[in-house]
Formats: sequence, structure tokens, C-alpha cells
Amino acid sequence: MEPSGLAFLGAGLGAGLVALGAGLGIGRLAGPAMEASARQPEALGEIRTSMIIAAALIEGVALFGLVICIILAFK
Amino acid sequence: MSERNTTSFCLMIFRRLQLLFVLMIAIAIVLPTSSAARSMQDHEAAQDAPVSDEREADEHVEEGDHEEEPAKFDAVHHNSDAYYLDFSPMPKLELPRIFVVRRADGEIGVDFFGSTHAAVEAGYVAEIEEGSHGGILDAHIVAGSGKILVDMSISKHLFFAWLSMLIVLGAYLPIAGRYKKGIGRDTAPKGRFQNLLESLVLFVRDDIVRPSIGPKADKYVPYLLTVFLFVVTCNLIGLFPFGATATANIMVTAVLAIMTFIYTMFAGTKDYWKHIFWPPGIPILVKPILIPVEILGLFTKPFALAIRLFANMTAGHLVILSLIGLIFSFADLFGPAVGFGVVPISVAFALFIFLLEILVAIIQAYVFTMLSALFIGMAAVEHEHHEDHGHDAHGSLTTVEAGS
Repeated sequence: MEPSGLAFLGAGLGAGLVALGAGLGIGRLAGPAMEASARQPEALGEIRTSMIIAAALIEGVALFGLVICIILAFK
Repeated sequence: MSERNTTSFCLMIFRRLQLLFVLMIAIAIVLPTSSAARSMQDHEAAQDAPVSDEREADEHVEEGDHEEEPAKFDAVHHNSDAYYLDFSPMPKLELPRIFVVRRADGEIGVDFFGSTHAAVEAGYVAEIEEGSHGGILDAHIVAGSGKILVDMSISKHLFFAWLSMLIVLGAYLPIAGRYKKGIGRDTAPKGRFQNLLESLVLFVRDDIVRPSIGPKADKYVPYLLTVFLFVVTCNLIGLFPFGATATANIMVTAVLAIMTFIYTMFAGTKDYWKHIFWPPGIPILVKPILIPVEILGLFTKPFALAIRLFANMTAGHLVILSLIGLIFSFADLFGPAVGFGVVPISVAFALFIFLLEILVAIIQAYVFTMLSALFIGMAAVEHEHHEDHGHDAHGSLTTVEAGS
């Protein structure tokens, strides 16, 4: 297996794992956020703000991995 | 909060905006041009991904295929920095090249060319790599005699960064003038535009900065407001036809993160530095492990800020272009009929991702500003939590210490 083939394989697998990780992380955060806002509708604004911040942070980590995959695939 | 307080505050903000923009753009001139554009160029010439760009693919499908070289432009090329503005069915608009060069006789001078072609005609050499099909415009330019010291050419991302700076200044400075005259300060803000922009300023101040920083918040609102408006404008301009996202360039986001880092340095109180270099309440044997970690944490935070914004912006554009390019890949692999069939699916997906990208553009600007505010806030306020560092046993000592 030539190195470039391995690199593409690594990039593809890595991207998939990154998506999996981000989805799991943000899903775990969104579920309780929905429940909490259903239990206490007046806290909806704050919950939404915290949820968006946490989601952006989790996505940031996911995108670190994605950037490495892109570098692998194109170099 | 009284009416007067709010509006005189707005006036102060608008005045400071101007200073900060000048500073930011001064830095943005130097950094984006030199290294990023060159590294992106080297990056581009070496790749041959089969995803194609809609503009170029039309010509190539007619010309017939080269099997050994997929002669199509790819999504990454369209996204990255270049020395021309691409109005695609119409000709490309080349941007000026400015080189600080050490000439053959040892003198240092600045060479200014209106376009890349002019530079090549005047004696610069375009190193076109094997297998690349961009011509002179995508090649790495080297001085014919002498050596290029700094490549200060205007590139696409720099041009769009300046464009969004002009848009933000053009929108807010006239409003600032109105505040100076007293409209909106002594009377209520007049007109839809002034109200709209004032509500943006108040959003940044009341929902982002004041909760994060606390008592000294108003000092930092001008910078954070500048960052928010600049990033959101840059991100949204990239979604227009023929537009490019300046924040999709790692150098631009790095400059923004460095400015946040500088602000945290200056906002840091003595308590903050003490907590990093000599954390109180930690057993002495753990300290050699904890202190490097803390110092490292000082640097990873702005780094993460830069990468998060850069990767979000680049990824969005890449996904859209890849989805559109799927049409052409399918057409190549299975024949034109299948290509036509894929079009509705592909366009629907791309539309959805486009809408998502608008959301992401605004959210990423908000997150960048919120995290900058958080970092500045963490640096500026540090005296309350002496209690939870293990000093619980010393009751009275804690209260004395917390007052320091």
C-alpha cells in the first residue's frame, strides 16, 4: 500500500470518526437542554445561549481533527 | 439603566471603533500577504482531487478528458487565497503585486506592479509546477535577479478583508456622527438604520461583554464590538456570489486571536499571573506539573480561537463546492444523463448547507466574541476564588486573604 493511498484512507476514516464524535457530543448536550427548557420555559433564553456556546466549542474540537484530515487528503 | 447612560456610552464606543480598526487593518496588511498566500499556492499546485468546480468543468467536458491529469479546478483552490478576483464567466481581475525586493546590486527596494502579468513581463519568473494548470496566476513568483524579501501583494482575502472593514466603517461612522450631534443621545435614536445598529451594539455589550467581564466591562466593549462586526461581515460576504471569505484564511483569524491574546495580557491582574505561575493551594510536588500546563493553556486558548473560526468557515465552503461538484463527478463517471439526474438532489443539499452556513457564520462570530470576552474576563477578575483552593480550614485567614 503506497503512502498516498494510506493517507487517503486515514483521511476518510478520520473524517468519519470526527463527525461521529461531534455528533455524539452535541447530541448529548442537546437532549438535556431540550428537557430542561421543557421543564422550565422561562429559562429558555439562557439555556439556548449556553447550548450554542457549548456546541460551538465541541464543533471547534471536531474541526481540529477535520483540518488534519484535509491536510492528509491534499498533501 | 437610564436612557442617557446608554446613549452616551454608544457615543464613546463609536469613537473608539475608529482607532481600533486602524490598528487591526495595519496588522492585517502585513500578515496575510506574505506567508499564507505562498503556502496556499504550493499547496494548490500539488493536488489533483477529482472534485470539480462548475465553471471550469463546462470547458473540460467539451474538450475531452485527460485521464492522467484531471484538469479541473477543485473546491480547495476556489476557497484559498489567490492573486486575482474571480468573476468567472467574465475575465479575472488581477490584483496588484507589491514586492519588497533586494535587487542584484544589494539595494532594497519596493517593486509595484499592477498585475501578475506585468510583474512577469518586467523580469520576474513564474515557477509553474509540473501538472498544474493555473498558468502564471497560480504560480509562485520569484525575482529574476535578486531576491524577494517580503511579498506584500494584495491578495483576494486581503481585498475582501479591507472590503468588510470599509463596510463596517461606512455603516457605523455616520451613525457615530449622529450620536455626536446628539440624536440618540439627548433624544431617541431616529430612523431604522440607527436603531438597528444601536441594537447590535447593545447586544454585544449587554449579552456578551458585561456578563463575562463584570465590573471593568466597558473598557473592552470597543474591541469586542469591532471583532464581532468585522468577523460577521467577513463571514457573510463570503456567501455572496463572487465573494470570498477573508476569515477562511488562517492568517486573518490568527491576527484576530493574537489581538485577543494581547488584550488578555494587558487585562491580567496580579492575581491572574500569580494563579498561573504559582497556583496557591496546590501541594508543592504537583506544582512543577501544573505550572507548565497552565502556561501551555495560556497559549492554546487563542490558538483554538483562530483554528475554530478558520476551520468552520473553510469547511462550510468546501462542503458546498463538493456537493455541487458531485454533479460533475457523476457526469464524468456514469455519463451525462446520470449527471442531470443528480442535479436536483445536489442542489437541494447545497441549498440546505448554504442556509446552515449563514447560521454558522453568525454563530461563529458570536462564539469568537464570547470566548474573547470570557478570556479577558478571566484575566481581569481573579480575587474571589481564594476560598476554593484548599484554604477552607483557615476560616478567618480566608476572609482576610480574599480582600487582597
